[in-house]
Amino acid sequence: MKITELMTEDIMCLDLASNTKKEVIRELSTLLVEANKVSNLEKFVAEIEAREELSTTGVGYGVAIPHAKTKFVKTPALAFGKSKEGIDYDSMDGEDAHIFFMIAAPADGANLHLQTLAKLSRKLIDEDFRNSLHEATTKEEVLHILSSIDKEEK
Amino acid sequence: MAKIIGVTSCPTGIAHTYMAAEAIEKAAKKAGAKAKVETNGSIGVENKLSKKDIEEADAVIIAADARVEMARFDGKPLIEVSVSHAIKHAKELVDDALAGKFTVYSKK
Repeated sequence: MKITELMTEDIMCLDLASNTKKEVIRELSTLLVEANKVSNLEKFVAEIEAREELSTTGVGYGVAIPHAKTKFVKTPALAFGKSKEGIDYDSMDGEDAHIFFMIAAPADGANLHLQTLAKLSRKLIDEDFRNSLHEATTKEEVLHILSSIDKEEK
Repeated sequence: MAKIIGVTSCPTGIAHTYMAAEAIEKAAKKAGAKAKVETNGSIGVENKLSKKDIEEADAVIIAADARVEMARFDGKPLIEVSVSHAIKHAKELVDDALAGKFTVYSKK
């Protein structure tokens, strides 16, 4: 499965309004509900927050990847958000997060989307890749950068 | 060439498992060592370590927040850290591995 099949423009926001971890989780989850990827906002948010309780998904380098695998996900999807000011996300390195990938995975079904997300996760270790995401200003640019993952062999 | 092996695993098995694996592989490559990292993710076990891999390995890095099958590493220099620690400190882990700073694991 291509990453550009998981992420569509309607679940991307390049100018997040949120200022806190709680708000940004809700803002991105709302996009997923409105795009008909997630069936129940409150329950999905609760699952995402439960995962954060285990350990923060603020992985450092200004990136956070909140995720949940739950039956409240109708279609696997990847929401994207950017915050200019940065948001305190309890990140591992103490730095604010600017880039958010919210992963919504259904409880059952095919694992194709998980392969794609694994590739994305690996790619986030790459500094050049992260920098290009930090610099991107339009949805098209972000999708273009992410499409490089689809082309790569792992 | 020194060889480092590892296992990564995290609660959901969607993201951190793979970030940690990539971080360790990259750091090892930079340090001029061979690396093979088994990922225990929600896809299942990938890149599974063989008996030969374990025999050849000079050091083992376990970066896991979920259970990993450990008995197979009996007698190997090994370190256990959280998966987030490995993402953040892969370079230090690899340096310590190559400097022989790990303690030998005993399955008892």
